Amino acid sequence: MTRKIICKIAEIPANGLKECEGEGGLKLLVANSGKEYFAVQAICPHQDVPLCEGLYDGAVLTCHQHLWQWDIRTGAAMGLAEAPLERYDVTVEGDAIYVGSQGALNVGELFAGVAAPTLALLTALAKSEEYAAGSTLYKPGDPAEDFFVLDSGRVEFQIGRDERTSPAGFMLKKGEVFGWAALLENHPHRIASARVLENSVLLRINGKQALELLESDPASGFIVMRRLSALIARFLAAPGAK
Amino acid sequence: MRIQVKARNRAYQFEAAPGEKVLYAGLRAETDLPYECGTGTCGTCKAKLVDGRIVDAWPEASGKKYLKPEQGEFLMCQCSAQTDISVEVSSFVYAMDPGSCRPTPMAGTVHSVRALTHDVTALEVTLDSPCDFDAGQFVLVAAPGLPGMRGYSMVNFERQARRLEFVVKKKPGGGFSDWLFGGNPAGSRIDLLGPLGKATFYPGLAKNILCIAGGSGIAGMMSILSRACQERYFEQFQGHLFFGVRAVRDVFYLEQLSSFRAEFPEKLAITLAFSDEDPPADCAARYPLLRFERGMVHEVAARAMAGKYQNVRAYLAGPPPAVDASIRVLLLEAKLTADNIRYDKFS
Repeated sequence: MTRKIICKIAEIPANGLKECEGEGGLKLLVANSGKEYFAVQAICPHQDVPLCEGLYDGAVLTCHQHLWQWDIRTGAAMGLAEAPLERYDVTVEGDAIYVGSQGALNVGELFAGVAAPTLALLTALAKSEEYAAGSTLYKPGDPAEDFFVLDSGRVEFQIGRDERTSPAGFMLKKGEVFGWAALLENHPHRIASARVLENSVLLRINGKQALELLESDPASGFIVMRRLSALIARFLAAPGAK
Repeated sequence: MRIQVKARNRAYQFEAAPGEKVLYAGLRAETDLPYECGTGTCGTCKAKLVDGRIVDAWPEASGKKYLKPEQGEFLMCQCSAQTDISVEVSSFVYAMDPGSCRPTPMAGTVHSVRALTHDVTALEVTLDSPCDFDAGQFVLVAAPGLPGMRGYSMVNFERQARRLEFVVKKKPGGGFSDWLFGGNPAGSRIDLLGPLGKATFYPGLAKNILCIAGGSGIAGMMSILSRACQERYFEQFQGHLFFGVRAVRDVFYLEQLSSFRAEFPEKLAITLAFSDEDPPADCAARYPLLRFERGMVHEVAARAMAGKYQNVRAYLAGPPPAVDASIRVLLLEAKLTADNIRYDKFS
């Protein structure tokens, strides 16, 4: 993990925010919350609004444009927000704040709030794989043994077979999870096809092994299942069921 | 022309008439595409062209500063399809709630233009055919011979409305404002498109309502209060309206506001906030049902509402700095949840 000093403690107001520059000119938002510091992406995932102009009370960050909100500790979406914020690792040494990037599993909404030891074990299960643009990950009817976490790139879904297919959404944010049939009972096969649109890096995790791991930490398992059901509902929402 | 929209969660297909903007073809087909102003300024309706050709009706639109044209991004409110097209929208898109009013192109005639203050006018339009809208919504209006459209909130509320009333503030150098204030527009034919907007009030809400309006932002609040009074909403729920202006010469609708209050004196409270002068003593004498205070409207509202935020839905309208100041009070001090703060930034 790369890390870089990006600002001094004195530059961040108490329970306040500051936009800073990280690795390679990447813009980051550093927030103070009591004695702790957190770093998240500086731009709202909704409409490219700078989040340093947002509202912040030391715990919840609100973008002033459309009131999307996030928990500053986890980056998890709250209220109206449809996407989490990418979170970065923060370490404080003396009066300097260092920020490093996080793995895709730590960024995604499915695992936000999971206990650190469990997350470390899940990360150990994950195999990082590279796919070239145009490759197909799976097709309807394929066994649904693994689920995927997007690290970088873009994946598109189609439902239906042969000529009678229709687009069923796409994934483009680091940490987004798909292929979730692998985490569900009685869903042994894929119901959609997944195609990689750009050169992409994906984390592949075996569903059965992940479920066994979550069974041994039911508190974390409960969080993951709640988030998974919300995720599925968002994709399957029927007309008017918004 | 056939239009396919690929959203984050699924795809939609609908037909567009020749020249019809992608956004309005989608909304007409009950696909709740993202938009806010509908007039090319906010950038909310941006999409990416994947396949086919489009034509841009207003290449100079200020909202284009939010786009990456080299990636094929365009504004759905300004562009129409020249061929069948496929576009991508990077947000989750759902079908519209059943029963919501779908926007359609309309035509009408200017019935009257009536001065409300030295720089604010009531514009009344008679529609060729009746239209349904929700309290708090707006329509886009195009004046004859002027490019582009502007959004105005309806003041009145009725089903199958034949008549729409708007509040228009005079803006020196504004084309629409010059047309309206300059000549005698009564009898002019105008084009409209709507209704639009999500800051709507329904009686089924079952919450106390708080309306904070600055200047001409009062228009949509009048529609909300009209509907609430028609449905006798304030027999059961509290209503608080705060109407902010600079000085006494800027106030209007005081008779109508008084008559709303007279119907529900127990549960409906209406306060005028003057930012630039102390309220003259004769205001309170002439309008005994209304309260008059000195201060910025969000500050006056914050003082009066302290401790009264239980089960509240707030509606905000007016100049963007006033709306932003109210949002800050409601989120950080009143601790309202974001879904109970409604506004449309379309001016």
